[in-house]
Amino acid sequence: MLQRAFFVVVLMVALGSQALAKEIVFAVDATYPPMEMLDANKQIVGFGPDIVRAIGKAAGFTPVLKNTAWDGIFAGLAAGKYDAVASSVSITEERKQTMDFSEPYFEVQQGVVTAKEAKITSVKDLAGKTIASQMGTTGYFVAKKIEGVKAKSYDEIGLAMEDLYNGRLDAVIADSPVASDYALQHPQYSKKLKLAFTIASDTPEYLGIAVNKGNAEVLKLINEGLKKIKANGEYDAIYAKWFQKK
Amino acid sequence: MSPQRQSPTVKIDIGDGAAIPSKKDRGLFTAWWVAFVGAIVILGSLCLSYPDPYWRILAFLPDGIVVTFQVTLLSILLSLALGLVTGLGRLSQNRVWNLLASTYVEVIRGVPLLVQLFYIYYALGRIEAFSNLPPLAAAVLAMGICYGAYMGEVFRAGIDSIDKGQAEAARSLGFNRRQTMALVILPQAWRTILPPVGNEFIALLKDSSLVSILAVSDLLRRGREFASESFLYFETYTVVALVYLLITLVLSKAVSHMESKLNYYDRS
Repeated sequence: MLQRAFFVVVLMVALGSQALAKEIVFAVDATYPPMEMLDANKQIVGFGPDIVRAIGKAAGFTPVLKNTAWDGIFAGLAAGKYDAVASSVSITEERKQTMDFSEPYFEVQQGVVTAKEAKITSVKDLAGKTIASQMGTTGYFVAKKIEGVKAKSYDEIGLAMEDLYNGRLDAVIADSPVASDYALQHPQYSKKLKLAFTIASDTPEYLGIAVNKGNAEVLKLINEGLKKIKANGEYDAIYAKWFQKK
Repeated sequence: MSPQRQSPTVKIDIGDGAAIPSKKDRGLFTAWWVAFVGAIVILGSLCLSYPDPYWRILAFLPDGIVVTFQVTLLSILLSLALGLVTGLGRLSQNRVWNLLASTYVEVIRGVPLLVQLFYIYYALGRIEAFSNLPPLAAAVLAMGICYGAYMGEVFRAGIDSIDKGQAEAARSLGFNRRQTMALVILPQAWRTILPPVGNEFIALLKDSSLVSILAVSDLLRRGREFASESFLYFETYTVVALVYLLITLVLSKAVSHMESKLNYYDRS
């Protein structure tokens, strides 16, 4: 009996302390270096997670990062499995109809990665080629719209890069930081792959943090924090940490 | 070999395919109709009353269904061939053949199919000779090799179930080993083997959804692509599940029909 009472007290304390520092759970698909990835200790690291942690510190909440597969990441948000998606989500009109977005935290273009010896320098050269991207990403939407190509969708961008590396694909389209990370930084892929070009777009593409429609409370905290870290230089420091030319 | 001698009607319950309805099993027989009519009515009424999005989703899937069938049919052919060789090997007096077949079964059955798919496509892809293997071929190879191991056990059990007297009679009539197997044992074993083979066939069709991991545009992948763009997860997976259900129900009916046709001695 005493044991049970003790257990209840411990439980209450545990719950109480959680309530003090508000926890916000962010879903992250950690397969997208350098934006989001797992390090050797299975910790979620990258530009995105650093930004989220900094936002949390600035806005006074405890961010909890939850590694979630991209496929279904928005369904999980709608189902209330987490409060937000911070996983290099491009802000698009279609997505805005089902979710609310924070202020943009990054601008991306779509980068095209090819084999080093390939003679592909523009969208026109892609005609008749097999190109790929990650399913449900803006890269794949772009790939599908290019005329005369065979567009394939992969579960993870890494699998598409692997197939490109093995010569089964002609090109892979991904967010520019990710494309250049694979093509320029990766010790193995960079030997065989190159960042051929980036696809020019009429409208700039921004990444934002997605929350469920109407979740103003969380959105306000995120925007507050983002504004603060942009003002106090922390954002620039994180940016430099991940994207400074090495 | 005389017709008076009833061969034992052995039922082999292997595999995780759909339950195959037979007229003897009233419950399952009715359940088949409930499921089949129910699936058609639900799918039809959804498409008619809400063409957007349900009809849109259904119209997005046909090429995926074709790919699913391609993968399934090619894999089943490969697995039947492998299964026959393996099943015979498992019963063979030839030590090397026996050991090879048994090891194949042990190894393949001990590795999950999803891992095998990854292995054949991505891991072996790093080896020059395999790097040009197209995804569809890799999918068929992986599924065929995997199910070949299971099929081998089905063949073995089926051949084992034939009364020893059959082989003895054939041998005493002057048939050699090969003739005995090909002309006497296998034709009889086939009747016992067919239901579990049909079962494996249906299980294989369902497992073919795993090949979507290789970026093969099968039924499931088409559904996932649709859902990831439209965010209509509930609607899309409802349609995908119903389509899979309809296909497996039709197949299980076909298998049960074939089975009753082959049951010469067991007609009631």
